[in-house]
Amino acid sequence: MAIKRNSLLFLAICVLALAPTGLPPYVMTLLTEALILGLCAMSLDLMVGYTRLLSFGHAAAYGLGAYAAGNLLLHTSIPLVFSVLLAALFSGIVAIGVAWVCTLASGVSFSMLTLAFAQLLYAVAFKWTSVTGASDGLAGIPRSPGPFGITFFQGRAGFYYLVLACLVAAFIFCRSLVQSPFGAVLRGIRENEAKTLSLGYNTRRYKIAVVAISFMLGGLAGALYAPFAGFTNTELLFWLFSGQVLIMVIVGGAGTLIGPVIGAAFFMLVSNMLSSWTDSWALFFGAIFILFVLFAPQGIWGLATRWRSLSSTG
Amino acid sequence: MDFLGFLVTQCLNALSQAALLFFLGVGLTLIFGIMRIVNFAHGAFFMLGAYVGYSAVHVTGSFWASLIAAPLLVGAFGAAFELGILRQLYRRDHSAFLMVTFGLTLIMGEAIRLLWGVAALEVPAPKSLSGIVFILDEPFPIYRLFLIGAGIVVAIAIWQFLERTRLGLLIRATSQNAEMVHALGTDVRLVRSAVFGIGCGLAGIGGVFAAPLVTASLGMAPNAVIDTFVIVIIGGMGSFAGSLIGALLVAFVQVFGTYYFPDLALALMYLLMLAVLVIRPGGLLGKEA
Amino acid sequence: MTISYTRRAAIRAGLAAVAAPVVLRHALGDEPIRIGMPLALTGPAGEIGLQMRHGAEFWAKEVNAKGGLIGRPIELHIEDTTGDPATCVRKAQLVVERDNCHLLFGMVLSSEALAVVPKLAEWNAIFMSSDNGDGRLTGSSFVPNFFRANISGPMETRAISLWLRKAEFKKFYALGMDYAWGHNSIGVFDDEVKKAKKELVGTVYSPIGTKDFSTYITKIRQSGADACFLVLQGDDNNAFLSQAHEYRLGDKVQLITSIVDLNSIHAVGDAAIGLAGSTRYVFMIDNPKNRAFVAAWQKEYNALPDVFEGEQYQACQMLQAGIEAAKSIEADKLRPALETAAVDSIKGHVAMRACDHQAVQGGYIVKVGKLPEYKTPTPQIIATLTGDEITPSCRQMTFED
Repeated sequence: MAIKRNSLLFLAICVLALAPTGLPPYVMTLLTEALILGLCAMSLDLMVGYTRLLSFGHAAAYGLGAYAAGNLLLHTSIPLVFSVLLAALFSGIVAIGVAWVCTLASGVSFSMLTLAFAQLLYAVAFKWTSVTGASDGLAGIPRSPGPFGITFFQGRAGFYYLVLACLVAAFIFCRSLVQSPFGAVLRGIRENEAKTLSLGYNTRRYKIAVVAISFMLGGLAGALYAPFAGFTNTELLFWLFSGQVLIMVIVGGAGTLIGPVIGAAFFMLVSNMLSSWTDSWALFFGAIFILFVLFAPQGIWGLATRWRSLSSTG
Repeated sequence: MDFLGFLVTQCLNALSQAALLFFLGVGLTLIFGIMRIVNFAHGAFFMLGAYVGYSAVHVTGSFWASLIAAPLLVGAFGAAFELGILRQLYRRDHSAFLMVTFGLTLIMGEAIRLLWGVAALEVPAPKSLSGIVFILDEPFPIYRLFLIGAGIVVAIAIWQFLERTRLGLLIRATSQNAEMVHALGTDVRLVRSAVFGIGCGLAGIGGVFAAPLVTASLGMAPNAVIDTFVIVIIGGMGSFAGSLIGALLVAFVQVFGTYYFPDLALALMYLLMLAVLVIRPGGLLGKEA
Repeated sequence: MTISYTRRAAIRAGLAAVAAPVVLRHALGDEPIRIGMPLALTGPAGEIGLQMRHGAEFWAKEVNAKGGLIGRPIELHIEDTTGDPATCVRKAQLVVERDNCHLLFGMVLSSEALAVVPKLAEWNAIFMSSDNGDGRLTGSSFVPNFFRANISGPMETRAISLWLRKAEFKKFYALGMDYAWGHNSIGVFDDEVKKAKKELVGTVYSPIGTKDFSTYITKIRQSGADACFLVLQGDDNNAFLSQAHEYRLGDKVQLITSIVDLNSIHAVGDAAIGLAGSTRYVFMIDNPKNRAFVAAWQKEYNALPDVFEGEQYQACQMLQAGIEAAKSIEADKLRPALETAAVDSIKGHVAMRACDHQAVQGGYIVKVGKLPEYKTPTPQIIATLTGDEITPSCRQMTFED
């Protein structure tokens, strides 16, 4: 079974890797953005799906990564790839402090503390003009070449491969993480934190670690977004985005890693298609979510696996 | 203006803001207390209240009629939503409610845009309340005094309702221990529908009260929902008195903070929430940490 | 029936038309001229987006009825951006690369426009702005494929300043949205007040989405200013005007706003009476072209044209003049033609200039009052300023004298 699943995933990655050869340019751009959002949603899944930490401030991770990458690319000559990684690291380090405070609380209070941090960053972004460009954001963010004069990642297809590589690497990392003893403790926290604590695990330390890792990968997504779009904007830090990422995780299927990636792609592509089709897209989009909750409680991924197990048994 | 006049008018400003915030917060906290769910659509019910209020004013010509019509209609809609959809989800976790109410927010926003149009709509305060009075030589709108009064009346009414009536007793009991109430032979499901309806109705009446100050517009929902969360969390989820204290705290911090530190206007509310939650993770009057 | 009622009916009718295809195609045979229009149709900026849509559709219908432009029909590709820059860039890319539109209208918010303009060269697309106010679009962020047919933020502020030089007010207060447009306009205003040897006694920026302005109103009252310059838009503007009226702020302080528009006046009702300010377009402009336009508009939409409807129509005509001169929509041929384009517009003579792609045009100062022929308060023109007076030097955002 595990082999079968791995080969399916491998197949999916191959299809994605071949996508630039067969798809029109604008679809490539959409797909790149979908994968970036997918990475962001997957990083949140570590918190939401595996540890039951319902963060309502993941925009902070994304925005921190985006602004950090934007500044590095605009003001230094550090190559694109390194800028992106540095920005992700920066987001993860900031998260340690944030997590230290947020994990004082749990449940809804934890959600609201993460929201508070994200909104404070949003407020800072409006005032710290020299770094954030205030309400205009940063514009004209380049995809700096290098190292060794490599320009491959600057083009549309090259940048897509960079995003895909980041996503695959992050996925492999996350999966080994959740399958490791560390992941077992996270699941312990999810199921029964008091019991895990009584078994001698310092659960708060584990929670801080998972928030930092989640922010680092969310920051990686944001860091990719800045050179992808060429700009950053305060909207990236706004709570509405946090809510949307959370919805992407849930609609895809929390606690599955791959589900949130699909959820993100679904969210972006379907809202995009619906709004091209009718101004009243929100009516249909909203109904889709309600129908999902009623008829597909495990999200898209749950639906897919259920269908597969049904077809294999029947 | 002298300092005393300034102080008094600013306090009255804060109280009038607190009244509006209270209408939103108390509904959300009642719903949370009973159902342990976070109603993301609360802002949308607030907005619906303002629009229904607009139509009621235009049909009946009376602001007072809209104060009755809006909470009733919005409350009925909320109760119907609970009956039709939420009721099936109580065995599920938070995320299901989050997604359903998120979907409802999108639907309500678009439905309102289709029904009432995209332009903001004027809901004038009634003639008798649109004047000003002079307080220590400072002009102050009568409508804001009316809001303060309405806030006090509604707060006392809800308090008495929770303390004195049978439904109030059931609501308090259900929030303590739903299983026990059920075992004693009460249909907890009916209590839930009623509370969801009442909570939404309170948001709706808040919408009517707010409309003369901000007009009825499509931006009302997203703005309101997050403020409401903050108030309720500061006061303590599920606590009636907490929502009152939360509303007062946020309003005073917002009014005086914006005056002395205008650059922090956007951050004040969140700094307050951060401070409260770091000291008391469950909120000021919350039970759970 | 009052004007505000018929207006709302028109908006509803416009929404009903949503289900119909947005493409205005005619059987003219030739390859259509495809124009992409990413617009905030939903969300807080939706009011302006709808106006711009009306303006463009009105023009497209008019042109197509006369046999099209250089013999080709106009096709509008409208997409909803919800006012979010990230969505706007995505939708702009879609209309360019999927729908093959190399001409763009739309982009309601300056933050959306600032995100899109760096991509115009790569897309080989020309963007004709009809409402973006940010001075930098024709200044530090200038790109060759961007053209601005509308009055910019600095221009409307300049118009107000020149009018104020002659007015009796001495002490000013400024309240702006904490947003590029607010900072931009108040920056120009500060500069102008100093030049006029008057005093700006205080400035405050309110965050976007502010609902309660009582504290700001207290600040304005305490400042002792005799006039207050406002740079607010949408819900924030409506909330401020309603609440200023509550506190009778207008009795003590003359409120002067950057843009006077009919939508806001309808939203706040009598609270708008006495409000003065600049406007980019008002249906009251008295010339034959505009009178004909207003009459045709009323026939089409059963309402009076508002600011962004008039401005969009003018932007369309500017593009039309360029295309007619270039006899092409290729960016490389169209750009030089647009740089020297001029139209006898609903606002009189409006000419594009080559150095920064800003259309030079006159400004209007209006004051809102009750007129017997209209049920709702109505803006009346109290001063007009020439294009030379209000247009900054090339690529500048401030004014020399």
